[in-house]
Amino acid sequence: MKTRAAARFGVPLALAGLVVVAGVFIPGFMSRANLATILLHVSINGILALGSIFVIITAGIDLSVGSVVGLAGVLAASALTSSTVLRLFGPAGAAVLAALVGIGAGALVGLVNGSIVARLGVAPFIVTLAMMTAARGAARLVTGGVPIGFPDPGDPLYARKIAALDALHAVGGGRIPVPGLPTGFPVPAIVMLALVALAGFVLTRTRFGRHVYAVGGNEEASRLSGVSVGWVKLGVYAIAGASAGLAAVLLVGQLRSGGPDAGMLYELNAIAAAVIGGTSLFGGIGTAWGALTGALLIGVLNNGLDLIGVQAFWQEIAKGIIILLAVLFDVWMKRMDARRWREKGAGGDDGASTS
Amino acid sequence: MPASSASATPLLAVTGITKRFPGVLALNAVDFTVRAGRVHALVGENGAGKSTLLKVVAGAERPDAGTLAVDGRPVRFAAPRDALRAGITVIYQELSLVPALSADANIFLGMEPSRHGVLDRRATARGAADALRALGADFDPATAARDLSVAEQQLVELARALARDARLIALDEPTAALSHPETERLFTQIRELCGRGIGVVFVSHRLEEVRRIADDITVLRDGRCVFTGPAAAVDDAALIRHMVGRDIEYVRLHPAASTPGPVLLEGRNLTRHRAFTNVSLVLRRGEIVGLAGLVGAGRTEVARCIAGVDPLDAGSMLLSGAAYHPSSPREAIGRRVVYLPENRKTQGLVLGLSVRENVTLPTLARFARWGVVRAERERTAATQQVRAVDLRPPALEREAGTLSGGNQQKVVLAKWLLAEADVLLFDEPTRGVDIATKTELHRVIRSLADAGKAVLVISSELPEVLALADRILVMCEGRISGELSAAEATAERVLALALPASHAA
Repeated sequence: MKTRAAARFGVPLALAGLVVVAGVFIPGFMSRANLATILLHVSINGILALGSIFVIITAGIDLSVGSVVGLAGVLAASALTSSTVLRLFGPAGAAVLAALVGIGAGALVGLVNGSIVARLGVAPFIVTLAMMTAARGAARLVTGGVPIGFPDPGDPLYARKIAALDALHAVGGGRIPVPGLPTGFPVPAIVMLALVALAGFVLTRTRFGRHVYAVGGNEEASRLSGVSVGWVKLGVYAIAGASAGLAAVLLVGQLRSGGPDAGMLYELNAIAAAVIGGTSLFGGIGTAWGALTGALLIGVLNNGLDLIGVQAFWQEIAKGIIILLAVLFDVWMKRMDARRWREKGAGGDDGASTS
Repeated sequence: MPASSASATPLLAVTGITKRFPGVLALNAVDFTVRAGRVHALVGENGAGKSTLLKVVAGAERPDAGTLAVDGRPVRFAAPRDALRAGITVIYQELSLVPALSADANIFLGMEPSRHGVLDRRATARGAADALRALGADFDPATAARDLSVAEQQLVELARALARDARLIALDEPTAALSHPETERLFTQIRELCGRGIGVVFVSHRLEEVRRIADDITVLRDGRCVFTGPAAAVDDAALIRHMVGRDIEYVRLHPAASTPGPVLLEGRNLTRHRAFTNVSLVLRRGEIVGLAGLVGAGRTEVARCIAGVDPLDAGSMLLSGAAYHPSSPREAIGRRVVYLPENRKTQGLVLGLSVRENVTLPTLARFARWGVVRAERERTAATQQVRAVDLRPPALEREAGTLSGGNQQKVVLAKWLLAEADVLLFDEPTRGVDIATKTELHRVIRSLADAGKAVLVISSELPEVLALADRILVMCEGRISGELSAAEATAERVLALALPASHAA
């Protein structure tokens, strides 16, 4: 019930249809290797979308996600290749620390967003727009504008730095051997799927999740029911920030470097996935499963168009059309719903607005 | 001038208008006639149907039956636009100006003088200045609407009506937010409008004002027209009788115990600026206290402060003898004081969540371990409470937004029963609910008191207060104006205490 109509029926159907059509007409699409590649490409956006839906369900928005990917990425890369860290903890320890730094930095930025939204009551759009600019600036400040990663060949710790980058690459770019899949299964995709399960669990089975829906559905009624609206908001922005941090760590691992310009416009892709997947920007509605299907739909579309050699520009246009279609389908379903109510004479709502 | 037009064809004739909302008959075959150059006052208690009638006249609601005629010609309004074209303007209590636009831009909103799509600023300024001067306004038309006082904003709305060549202007509770001199000025302006041959509908429940301004009076009660005629044909006592009526008689439910229990909550000299002043009250176990008064008397504000929703500016409260100063609803709920808001849809329920999820919202912690909700326990508890309030059908998984008003109220009630509230503050608990469900809700409220809870009921419906309350506090303009026991309370006495002027005495 907590998905828009489009996500309940339309998007899974569209996704299935797209996969079938692509499988029939595009050679190589249905190969296991290609499907694994799609999952890999979807995973960063999927993780960001999962974090974003928490915010969007509370009727908020987080525009800083992409910049946080940049900032958390350069911080993680700095930790990973820091001489001090490497001397103290070794390459594996540095990889673990880098992951913690990345996720922690993301969560911290999220907490700042959340506390301004919750305590000062500033519109989320404005707060996170400001953070989008500020975090990007901070990322460039930290790095001086150049990516952090590959060590200088003359570096005394060259070998250890390479080892550290390789250690994190095992996560961000690693593949788990699976019988029948020569390329192996991409680790980030596993992380994403695990997060879908986790986010779904938190949203549907925990007290916090219930409060997320309640605050988004009706903030005033929630407050009057004793829900700590401020803490819930703080929590969702922290989650969005932490997931951006996690995405950043995976990206650093995958690319073996952290660039200050990484993650540019990723927030919009995440929001697009959320919306296609049935999350309502008005709050109260959305699911983890929906965010996944939304991200997958975009991923399958991009991959299919890539394989048949369609220009990237056209892919952008196609994505735009898909977003519109998803929302239009939803409006149409709602109208059908309303009509069904009226025919039943049940009058979905008592509308008792007497004088 | 009234005499000259009295015999002519009425400007607006409303005949047999019926409007039904699910569960409520808002207007029941209402007749209503407005003549040019006369002020017709529309009076009645809250929920009598005044606003619905205005909306029908304004084209904002389509009637289920009945006809409207302007100048004797039948009309059908599909949208407010049609009514405006017919020269009918309704000015609602919630003024509909665009705050950021200047007064003159607001006056010409939707009919801006322009040449080839380019705004003609000079014509706008001139037209606005003319309309405002005609009303005796003395502020700069270039001022943004949000910087104007309520009275000035009202003038902008009136000027807009004049600029549209309105022939009938309806004002919904125009004096509610005005000071005394502002009200006087508004009356002068209304007379000025009448002098131009405009028919004015004046909605108010302040009898004193109605007396001063109205040429004709129509009284609505429970969606029916119970009196209509010249103001001179009815005296105040008759007017009050018409407003209060006698036909909804609720069964008076007597408390189980002959004497109320110990004091549970006590408020001393409670004050919140611009809302209420020096309110002292006592709530006892086993007793239902009715809080009567007109809309805007400060009743809701008092309840909200007791429930920790809004902060108090002065005064102190005791709960079971211990100091009680809730800073949030959460804290109040922790002390088992709960507020059931007037508007279930916007404040009482999360409409997108299921009945179960709404019922357990404040108490979810009880069913959770490590933050994970144990579904079976939650379901069992919700089922129990939903049965206790007799929700029919007891569909736990139904979205709260799809329930009728009465059932929604029961869900709100179930929520607070589960929270084991001791003090329940009901704000208009039966608004928009049909008679059968009302009676049922009354029984539930009575049984709560009988179970030893302290209950406060705010209701603008006098028969309801009289039927339910063991003791009635009356508020008027932010103060407690009197207290009546169930035995001594009559509709007339309550109303006399509730009305600002001592007219009804």
